[in-house]
Amino acid sequence: MKFGKRLKQQIEESLPAWRDKFLSYKELKKLVRQISSAESCVEYGKANAEAEFVHLLNNEIDKFNVFFMEQEEDFIIRHKELQQRIKRVIETWGPNGTKPSEAEYKDEMAKIRKDIVNFHGEMVLLVNYSNINYTGLAKILKKYDKRTGGLLRLPFIQKVLQQPFFITDLVSKLVKECENIIDEVFPVEQEDEEEIVKEQREAITVAGKGIFRNTVAALLSMQEIRRGSSTYGHFSLPPMDLPDSDLIHSFQLNSPIPIV
Amino acid sequence: MLAMCFFPVSSGREVMENSVSLQESSLAPSNGTLGNSSLSPSIVTDHMCASALPHVQHSHNPAFISQSSRDLASLLPLDASFSQSTASLIHTQGNKDVSWSLDRLQMFLDFPENTPAPNQLVESSTSVLASEDHNKKTNWQEWADDLINVVDPDWSKILDNTNVLNPRVELPKPSGDISKQQPQFHQNQLVPHGEFSSHAYPSSTAPPTKPRMRWTPELHEAFLEAVNQLGGSERATPKGILKLMNVEGLTIYHVKSHLQKYRTARYMPETSEGTSEKRITSIEEMKSIDLKTSIGITEALRLQVEVQKQLHEQLEIQRNLQLRIEEQGRYLQMMFEKQKKVEDEKGGAPSSASDDLLAPLPGSKHPPCNNGKSDSEALEQDHSRTGIGPGNAGTNEDKSSSGVSTKQKMPETESTVHDESGFSVSKRARTEK
Repeated sequence: MKFGKRLKQQIEESLPAWRDKFLSYKELKKLVRQISSAESCVEYGKANAEAEFVHLLNNEIDKFNVFFMEQEEDFIIRHKELQQRIKRVIETWGPNGTKPSEAEYKDEMAKIRKDIVNFHGEMVLLVNYSNINYTGLAKILKKYDKRTGGLLRLPFIQKVLQQPFFITDLVSKLVKECENIIDEVFPVEQEDEEEIVKEQREAITVAGKGIFRNTVAALLSMQEIRRGSSTYGHFSLPPMDLPDSDLIHSFQLNSPIPIV
Repeated sequence: MLAMCFFPVSSGREVMENSVSLQESSLAPSNGTLGNSSLSPSIVTDHMCASALPHVQHSHNPAFISQSSRDLASLLPLDASFSQSTASLIHTQGNKDVSWSLDRLQMFLDFPENTPAPNQLVESSTSVLASEDHNKKTNWQEWADDLINVVDPDWSKILDNTNVLNPRVELPKPSGDISKQQPQFHQNQLVPHGEFSSHAYPSSTAPPTKPRMRWTPELHEAFLEAVNQLGGSERATPKGILKLMNVEGLTIYHVKSHLQKYRTARYMPETSEGTSEKRITSIEEMKSIDLKTSIGITEALRLQVEVQKQLHEQLEIQRNLQLRIEEQGRYLQMMFEKQKKVEDEKGGAPSSASDDLLAPLPGSKHPPCNNGKSDSEALEQDHSRTGIGPGNAGTNEDKSSSGVSTKQKMPETESTVHDESGFSVSKRARTEK
């Protein structure tokens, strides 16, 4: 139930509009249990149960696809708009602009910076959404095969790999472009090592709700999920290597809901 | 330079979905972005389906069946003439992939145009059936016969079709090719046209009102150009945009919804947009109170980006690993099947793990399920035994540069597949002689 718990936590932390778009892992697990325990010897029953199961899985996949592509379309539009916005600000209030004004420029740029960072976060969360749903599907299929002696997993997962929601290349590309824009427009000044560490510790008080929190939760979830389990096997992912694991863990200190 | 991607929505649900949804009277309409679905035209198939699934009652969680997925159910096979070379490749793949998920009833309802697909369906369904009974061939017939008796006699006609099908072995192509293809799909350098990947849906489904489309940045650029030519987002009309864009396969519905999104994005700055607003403003509040006294917004944002970057990096790594795991799985499966083929052809003394190959269909893929499974497991075990060894050096490059030591198991298994699977397979063959 470890994955189920993690998934639930992530869903709770996620943006409200996303919450009903995740995999119905618990329900599917129940169904698998039902299928395996109520196993009748009648061919009809068994075959039908699998058909039903596959049908539900397909519904889930459709749900992911629709949601994912909607979000992706939104991101494409917003990405372009952000770029335009930056251009406009620079051209209007920038030093070489039509009405140069440092105050306005700074003000607008600050807004843009906040927006672009959140936008970046949202896109990453969509990639996370894709991944966690895929992981859930893979797990459910594994359970199904295990419980019913079926051979559904391998072929079915091949199909999943080609679904739009799993093909996250475009969103990843947008994420990277966003990072480039951030680096270009908001260059980071070099600071002391010590300074940085101090700031990071202070930043612990910052970790609040929303995208940042969700990101932290997602990262830590991932780490937890990939810690070795009893059913660790050839098809399992290896443990994760997360360099700033301690720091990220510390971001949870202020959370009302402990993410353990 | 423009490409538009239509993606195969998993099929087979069309009929099933409608039958289930007929019985689910209390369906909460969720975000039905595609508008109303088309239940009525599909009544014919619903009827057939409903009678065959008497047990599908209200026990289902309505959350499974959302408005939007019902809407997708009205997806139709797109005209084959639209297909370009890549699209047709996807098309074939799509068919194959679809077949994996088709349930048995759907198979019966498939019309002849879907002939390649049911081959694999026969295999996958018989493999499940065979777990109950060793003689899969007669069982399949029995079950099919039962179905005839239960439902409309019309089905016998369709069943005749399926009996004619030759259940040949067809090894699934590695989807790695396809996942490479998809990005190219997006950045297609060809003349503006639409690229479709389609299914051969049973022709009883409703005409497509709003097939799901995947936008790309290039397509969006074309959209913007058209909008600007027409005088801006307020003045431009969907019809005008559609005409200017001149992209094959793009419908006015696509343009309409995209225009709406665009207008929203344009006239509501990021902060007030969509659902993230509340969350972001609360961050803002927290930041302005706590932060200005501590480290400042800039630092907080910088930190946030760092964490986000990390998550993204980890996600990419994880995804690559997942792809490779499945690739390996396919490879193992293929080796296993080749092995079976060798055994079948030799017709020699069966090995301890593959006893029950009684009167198999020519070139059949699966022995009785349990044995099949234990065989592939045995193969895997072979690998794990021989797995702890040298030869994993080369496989670590494409993983993250740090923390390699934790990833022992995967690369070892992978390398052994490539280096030693041939060995263990032939070893098996030899012992059987």
